[in-house]
Formats: sequence, structure tokens, C-alpha cells
Amino acid sequence: MTEHELQHIAAGFTHEAFGSQAVFRTVMDALSHPGRPLVVPIQCELPHKGQPAAAVILLSLLDADTRLWLSPTLVSSDAEQWLRFHTGCIIVKDISEAHFVWVALGDNLPALSSLRPGSDAYPDQSATCIIETLTLQADIAGWILNGPGIPKQRLLQVTGLAPHFTHAWQNNHASFPRGVDVLLTTPTHLVGLPRTTHLENSPEA
Amino acid sequence: MFHPFDKNTQTTNPRQAWMALLSRAPQHMLDHALRHHIGFKPHWLRRPETGLMMVQGRVGGSGERFNLGEVTVTRCALHVSDAAIDKPVGVSYVLGRNHHQAQLAAMADALLQDPEHYEMFDEELLKPLRQHLQAVQAARYERAQTTKVDFMTVARETTRDDEEDEA
Repeated sequence: MTEHELQHIAAGFTHEAFGSQAVFRTVMDALSHPGRPLVVPIQCELPHKGQPAAAVILLSLLDADTRLWLSPTLVSSDAEQWLRFHTGCIIVKDISEAHFVWVALGDNLPALSSLRPGSDAYPDQSATCIIETLTLQADIAGWILNGPGIPKQRLLQVTGLAPHFTHAWQNNHASFPRGVDVLLTTPTHLVGLPRTTHLENSPEA
Repeated sequence: MFHPFDKNTQTTNPRQAWMALLSRAPQHMLDHALRHHIGFKPHWLRRPETGLMMVQGRVGGSGERFNLGEVTVTRCALHVSDAAIDKPVGVSYVLGRNHHQAQLAAMADALLQDPEHYEMFDEELLKPLRQHLQAVQAARYERAQTTKVDFMTVARETTRDDEEDEA
């Protein structure tokens, strides 16, 4: 990293421990209540590229041992430099090597099947995919979700996501215990989709 | 890359040279040089944090690399001014757990990058620092010299004995 690049890097969490713990707690909540939009506590300076919620989630989850794949908009952006400076994470070009995948709004969604699925013995070694969307609204027809963590069913409307996601997700869900976990974000909110969640389009949508 | 920073090797980058100096600067010298900037509130990029680093050595300075042991290192990065985001960033890595010393070293690094302050800090901080480190090194060298053993005497005596035998 050159001196010049360093000048443009934003600071990390205002309070490193509390800031990252608050975000971590939110991600845990989101994954234990799939489909429920939660507000992400953002207590840090942010890069220009990428959505704030997605950026802070990665800031709190990454460390020097994790490998991150970025979608084309984010590659070589200030978001990449910011994450590398604060977390020391490794940026990879090959998506199948990545532990975390960050897909910016407007970039093509990579095939979920090309991500690390983990193995039957070690399903935890799979990738976590963070996908930016336009809006996430609960209790509006769009998707019908059910599975662990959801009493009966939950409705969720997502805009700004490729329509083929539903099909890709059904394949991902079917490969349980292998498969990837997805975090959908808007600039402020987060929805967790663990691989255990069953998802289908609502009939009227 | 391996840089023996104790030797007077010519580095092309002056910042590399002064950062090597600052990382070994005793706190009282930093305190003195930065006395006009004491009230300044840093804009942190990375707050001082203490961690471990593996130090590697080479036998005889050129042999195979080996792990010597871990040292405690404190590092930080900061902007000198709250307002200016494009101002130079000061970075420091110092031995030990002294957060204040790391902060002062990073401040000095940031100010040295500013052409406005370079002259003054070169005169007030870097020059005395070079002298101080040279003096420390000279003292250590001198102390080591007193333990040096000269084996020449033994060798000469043996030779003389041999000569006597022959005679």
C-alpha cells in the first residue's frame, strides 16, 4: 500500500471492541431469525464504494486468516483498501477459494454453486455471501420463507436482486448440510438467509 | 526484504530512514521535539494496539533464516489534523507497550511528511536522534570490545617453542 492510498483510507470502528461486537450480535440475530430485517449498528467511518451495512459486517467478521472475493465494482476500490488495512484479510480472484463474498448492488450475482460449499464432514468451511439489494421489506408478498427459526412462514419482499436467485437458492438449500449462507443488505438493514431456510416465490408475485 | 537498519545503508526512500529512527527513539526525545504539538488531538486511523511479532535472525548475518523469538510491538496510524482527510498519515511501529510513545512517533512521521515541518523536525529530532543512537551503539561496541580475546599470543608462543625445539 502506498502513502498516497493510505491518505484516503477511512477510520475503522469508533470503539473497536464494542463496534464489532454489536455488528456481530446483529448478524447472529439475523441468521437465527431468517428473513427478519434488522438494523445494522454502524459506528465507524465508511468507504465511498459499497453499502455501509455490508461494509461494517465485513469489517467485524474478517481477520487476517479469511479470504475475501469482491465483485467488479468493489475490486481496487477504497472499500477494498479499507478492509485490507483494518482487517488484514486476503483478497482472492478465484471465487471458489473465498470464505466471504461481497457482491455490490448492480454487479452480476455469481453462481452460488461456484462458491465453497464446505464438505459433509466440515459444513462450516463453506463461504458466506453478502449481497447488496435495494430494499428489504418484511410481511409483503414476494418470497415465502420457512424453516428453522421461522414459526410457520415469513414473507419478505426483496428488490434489486437478480430473479434467478430463487432458483439458485433452492439448489443451495437442497445440498444441505453443504451450501452457502447469504446475508442480504440494504444501506442500513440486514436479512440473514442460512442454508436451512426454504424459499419460494409467493403465488401472486 | 531484509534491511539491516543498524548499518548505514543508503536507502532511496528518506521516509524509510526516518521511520527506522523514530521506531527506536526514546520517549523523552520525542516529547521534547513535539512539545509544541502536545495539545493536538489525533484523528485515529488505527488506535495504538499492542501485539506480538516474530523476529527472525540469520546466523552470521547471512546464513539461513531462523525464528529468534517474539517481541511485543505497539503500532498505530493517525492523521495530524481533524479536518484534512488528504493530509499525510503518520504510521509507527515501536518496541514495547508504550502507547504514548507510539503515538508520538506516528505524529512525528506525519509532520515529517509535511514539507512545512520537515526542516524543523530534521534539525530538532532526527539529527539529535542519529547522534544518540550512534552514541548508544558506540558504547555497546566499546563494552563488547573489552571482552574480546586475542588468541595471537598463544599461537606465537607455540611457534617459538617449536623453533626452540628445532634449534
